[in-house]
Formats: sequence, structure tokens, C-alpha cells
Amino acid sequence: MFRKFAAFGGCLALALLLAAALPSVALAAGSGTSAGTPTITVSIWQAALIALGYYLANSPWLFGLAFFTIYRPLVAGFFVGLILGDPAQGTLVGAAINVPFLAFGSYGGTLPIDPGFAGWVGVTLALAGHLDPATAVSIAFGLGLLGTIIFYTRMALDSVFAHWADARAEKADIAGVALMNWLPGQAFLFVASFVPVFIFALNGPSAVQDVLNRLPLWGVNGLVIAGGILPAIGIALNMRFIFRGSAIPYFFIGFILMTASHGSMSLVVIAALGLALAYLHLSFVRRDAPAQTATAATPAAEGARPAATAVPSTEPALRLTRGDLIRSWALWTFFAHANYNYERLQGTGFAHAMTPIIKRLYFTEDEIRAALKRHLVFFNTEPNFGNVVHGTVIAMEEQRANGAAIDDDAINSVKSGLMGPMAGIGDTLSQNTITPILLALGIGIAGGQAGGTTVPTLSNAVGNPLGAILYTVAISVVIVAIGYTAWMQGYARGRSFVTEILRSGTIDRVLIGAGVLGNMVLGALAATFVVVNLAPTVNIAGAQMNLQAAIIDPLFPGALALGLVLMTWWLLRRQVSPLAILAAYLVISILAAYPFFGPGQKNAGDYSYQACTSSLLHQYSPCGAPPAPTAQP
Amino acid sequence: MSLRLVRIDDRLIHGQVVASWLRAIGAQRIVIVDDATARDEFLREVLTLAAPEGVPVEVHDVASGAARCSELARTPEPVIVLARSPRTMLALRQAGVPIEIVDVGGMGAGPGRRRLHKTISVSPEEIRELRELEQLGTRVEIQIVADDRPISFRSLDSGN
Repeated sequence: MFRKFAAFGGCLALALLLAAALPSVALAAGSGTSAGTPTITVSIWQAALIALGYYLANSPWLFGLAFFTIYRPLVAGFFVGLILGDPAQGTLVGAAINVPFLAFGSYGGTLPIDPGFAGWVGVTLALAGHLDPATAVSIAFGLGLLGTIIFYTRMALDSVFAHWADARAEKADIAGVALMNWLPGQAFLFVASFVPVFIFALNGPSAVQDVLNRLPLWGVNGLVIAGGILPAIGIALNMRFIFRGSAIPYFFIGFILMTASHGSMSLVVIAALGLALAYLHLSFVRRDAPAQTATAATPAAEGARPAATAVPSTEPALRLTRGDLIRSWALWTFFAHANYNYERLQGTGFAHAMTPIIKRLYFTEDEIRAALKRHLVFFNTEPNFGNVVHGTVIAMEEQRANGAAIDDDAINSVKSGLMGPMAGIGDTLSQNTITPILLALGIGIAGGQAGGTTVPTLSNAVGNPLGAILYTVAISVVIVAIGYTAWMQGYARGRSFVTEILRSGTIDRVLIGAGVLGNMVLGALAATFVVVNLAPTVNIAGAQMNLQAAIIDPLFPGALALGLVLMTWWLLRRQVSPLAILAAYLVISILAAYPFFGPGQKNAGDYSYQACTSSLLHQYSPCGAPPAPTAQP
Repeated sequence: MSLRLVRIDDRLIHGQVVASWLRAIGAQRIVIVDDATARDEFLREVLTLAAPEGVPVEVHDVASGAARCSELARTPEPVIVLARSPRTMLALRQAGVPIEIVDVGGMGAGPGRRRLHKTISVSPEEIRELRELEQLGTRVEIQIVADDRPISFRSLDSGN
């Protein structure tokens, strides 16, 4: 126990130190030139609202939907924009930051990176510090890694509160178990998430801008270049899930539609086309699924077996009402991860959700104590599709309370046997398929139309808050619908529902159709957000022409970006770690911005657009032209 | 060596396995070895249907599982082998299945179990079984998802 507190203290201190270090860096760098950049102020109230937003993104209070909505940089960007007075730009920066995190998923207590921290803090730094969105993408990735400290501290500490819940269960205290699932964990989480983000929001923007002012121009350019290259990692990570088999061509269709229309085609149109093609694909292209191996191994009648073998023939005396079921489902949906911890994962969340059921079914202290303890054990599943486990278990509890011969082992074996496979299906559906596709769509809408140039750049795009809003509504409806259906069907039909829905092949069809749609949208997104601009020129008929603009892009627009995405995907397939790729791309971007071939770019004053040909890559396309400022409507 | 991932995981097939490992190592088949699961027709079917399309799942008891794993180890097809407990894994190893590395991916907490690393908890018996696996020349590593860095069991097992 002491070790856990020490670990928590250490991590918190580290986070605070890092946060506190920024202002001092700013002071040290304070004397640097800050020519022409507007002064930045984030008021205390704005910083507090942003910090509160990040806490809420990790909290249970938004019907468990925070993880799918405001935890994502796209949606966080919209809200930070609202708080700082520019929701359109906030959404745009959030969308850009979100692309490298497109394939983000958290499975069974692992968190590779924290998109919530990257989004809430990254967008604040970008808006208040007037950063180029591409620079924000580079910085946000580092923030995302930093944010995982908060998550892992919490996972360690919350194990302690699970033992507090055990103590309440020992006293048959139903309300106490429920309270222990959220109060201590959330009190800690509030402090651990609010404080660092508050400090970052208040001091970060000026600090980051001062650091950027001290950097040589090629260094700043390097960060912008990296901001165009890092999205390839997010897209390639996502391709690991869907860029397979007969769905592969659709990725190229999406990419080409976007580049051929010079980025002017709406992602909604591409998605509509994707849906149509998904229908055709399912009807004509897909070979018939091989006869499921399961049916060979298992007699067909087996699936219809009721959950309990010994149901009393008389009318049960104790019946759960629809209200009990809905209350239980709502408690789970809210609080499944309120006390997420290494030791039990969702164990206390499961017990919390069972409290209305236990209240209705059990009356003696012994029964209540046994039921609470039974459901406080290790549990983890995908919290939406996986609800079929809860429904099934509730039906078993009801039969048990009415005298059926169902012992603890029977209930435990259903929980521990089903939670894994249901999580496998649920994660594939919600985290790997539905969320990234809807996110990609929202990001595409939020990215808006580039103004003026033939090749869109983030620097001159106009953000569209509708992308964040539509994504939020769509994902919320889908997630709640899956969760509610699984819960109620699990209760009503138990095991037969599980086997029926798996045998029907519906899930496979959804996944295959989503794969077609997802590839189209992902391809289109790659064309928009992955930016590679070669700087070197070639001599064509006596004139110096940009290599890419004169030769490569006329042949195949966006060939370099597409090549980069495919190379990243190939590296990931070769089991190169995403973090290694990230580090390599950052270094390469900054090296590629260094003026190896010509006059140096010491600072903004010396910088002439002729000099841009002296590096390997350039941040804007074509080399030499700064982005035209968008006309204000 | 086509037993690409030999994993101890008390939840058998779930998100970490399907979403992370299966894709990362490009496995085309999952072999589950567990006596209790092999006897339970319902769980057998659920596990078989829970894997993504095109990835066949076999459920074996220890006896048939050992023969099947040894056979698969000689083919080029990349395979994931899953067992619920160190005991099953040890039985496979003792039956001659060539296992170079055992990945400890999921062992939940419970009474009488102490936390070894993050979500991994072990009972004293399981510690003994894991040590025995190491003595038989199999490396035991903790790596929950494919993107994690593997941690050797030996480095965590000091002193107890």
C-alpha cells in the first residue's frame, strides 16, 4: 500500500514539475525576439474550464460517453475553441491533432498514449500561442505520451479503493460499495487531471511560443513538416485493422478521389459513395463465408439451451422490474470505469451496476454480503457490446434468488468465460471500426475546405465545428444503442442471444461493410492530412522548377504522401514499433528542414523564399509560396 | 517456428488478443488449450465465433492440444496458442511442445494472489510453475499488448 502511494506521489510530483518547468523555460527564453506575435493570455477562468474539460473527459459523468467524445482531440478542440473564443479554429486544430491518434484504443488497462491530454492541452497551446496547426500536431504527440502518467498513476491507486469496497461488502453495505466505486477514485482523478492541465493552460502558451521564438527558423519549419508527416502514422496504424484483402482497393479510391478533386470533394460525399460501394461489395464481391468451423464442432441445438438448467416451474416470487434493469444498465454505463484499476479492472464497476439488482433480489445480510463479494472480483469486458454478459448474469441472479440451483461457480464461469470473447468482438466493433470511421468522417468535415491553393494545407484551411458536433452525436447514438440492446437481450435471452448473433454473421457483415467505407474515408483523409513537400528544384528547359510540382504531382497527385503512408504501414507490418517510427519521422523532418544546400535560414528576418530550395523538404507547397491568408467572410 | 505467440491469458480471446496481437503478428489460426473450456460446448462455440472471420479457432484439452501444437509448430502457418494458466502451459511444455517464449498476458487478481506487474497477478503455485517453465528452457515474458516492451519474468521474480 505504501509503495502505491509513493508511486502516486512520485508521478504527481513529476507531472507538476514538468508543468512548473515550462514557465521557467519561458523566463529563460523570455528575452528572445517576439517580433509581431500577439501577446497571449489565457485567463484563470479559461484555464480552469479547460482543466475541468480534461477531467470530464476522463470522468464517468457524461453517461460513460466521454471516452468516445470529449476525450478525442477533435471534440476537445471544439470545446477549447469555444472557451477561448474561436470554435472553428479550435475544431480545425483538434482535427489535425486527432489524425495521428485515429487508431487509438485502450484494451484491458493499457493506454499507449493519451489523446485527451494531447487534445485539451495541445489545442490550448495552439490557439493561445497562435501556432501553425501542423506545429501543434508535433507538440501534441509529446503531450499525449506525458498524459499517460496520469492514467497509470490512477490505475495503480484505484486498486486501493477496490479494497475499501471489499470492506463495505463485508458489512453488507450496498450503498457503501457503490460509493467506493466512484467517490475516492474520482476525487483523486479530479486533482490528478485538473491541476496539471490548469498549469499547462495558464503558462504553456507563452512558454511554448518563447521556445519556438528561440529556435532557428529551420527548426520551426521542421516541426511544421513533422506535422504533415506524423498523421501518416495514425493512418497506417488504423490500416492495420482494415487495409486487408478485397477491401484494399477502396483505400486508393478514396485517396484518388480526394487528390483528383484537389481536396475539394466533401468527405460526406466520399462516405456516401463508400456506403454504396460497401453494399455492392457485400452483394457481389465477398465470397461466401466458409462454413463456420464452430457448427461442425458443436451440435446446433446447444446454443438454445437456457442459462439455467433448473428453473422452478412455479411463478417466480421475486421479479426484476424493467426499472431495475434500466437503473442497473445506467449505473454501468456511467460508472464502469469510475474506479478502473490494475487489480480488478472493472470489478468494482460491475458490483456498482449490480446494486439495484441485489437490492431487489436479496434481503438477508448474508445473501447481500455474498452477492456483493461475488461481483467485486476481477472483471473486464468491452463496456457496450460486452453488456450481454451483464444481462445474462442478471437473469441468472434472478433465477438463483427464486431458488434455482445456480451456485457461485456457475455465475463466475459465465462472467469469466464470456467477458473475454465479448470484449474481443466489442473492441473490434467499437474501438477499431466504428469509432475510427466516424472520427475520420468528423475530422474530414472539420478540416474544411482549403482556401485558394491547389493543394490544401492546414495553415489556410477553415475549421468547421460541424465535424465535431456530428461526430459526437453519431458515436453517442451508436454506442448507447449497442450497449442497451446487448444488456436487454442478454437478460431476456442469455446464451442463446450470444450464439444467435454470432452465428447469424451480422457482425462479420458489419465489419466487412465498415472496412470498405473505412478504407475510402481513410484514403481521403490521408490525401488531406499527410503532407510531403519536396523543396529541390530541377532545371527544365532552362527554368528552375520545383521537382514535385513540375514532375511528380502532375503524374500522380499526392504520390509522395501516399508512398509515405504505405511505407509506414509496411514498417508497422514488419513489427517496427510505432514510437520508433515516430521518433525517426520527427528527426527526419527536422533534418530535412535544415538548409544543407544553400543560404541559411537563421531567423525570420533573413528568411527569403528563394532560400527554401536549400533544404530537402519544405513546409508549404509549392516551395516558395507562403500560404495565402484566408479571406474573412 | 510457427507458434508465433504462446500466451497465458485467463480471458483467452479478448480485445488485446484480437485487436493487438492478431494483427501485429499476422496470425492465421488460434489454438486454445484448456480442459474446462474443451468440455463446455457453449464456451467452445462462443470462442470459435468470437475470432475475426478467416481466423479459425480450435479448442483442445491438454492431451490433444499438445499433439496439435507440436504438429502446428512444424508447419509455416503463423499460430497463436492460448492457455488460461501456467499449469496448462507447463503441461504442454512437458509433453514436448517446442515453446521458445511464453507470453504472460492476462492473469487477474484474486484472493491469495499477489500483483507481479500491472494487471498480472500470480499465486505461489503459479510462480513455481513459471519457474519450472524457465528451467525447461522456455523464456517467460510479460507483454500485455504487442506494442509493449516485453519484460522478463526473471527480472520481476527476484527474491521470493
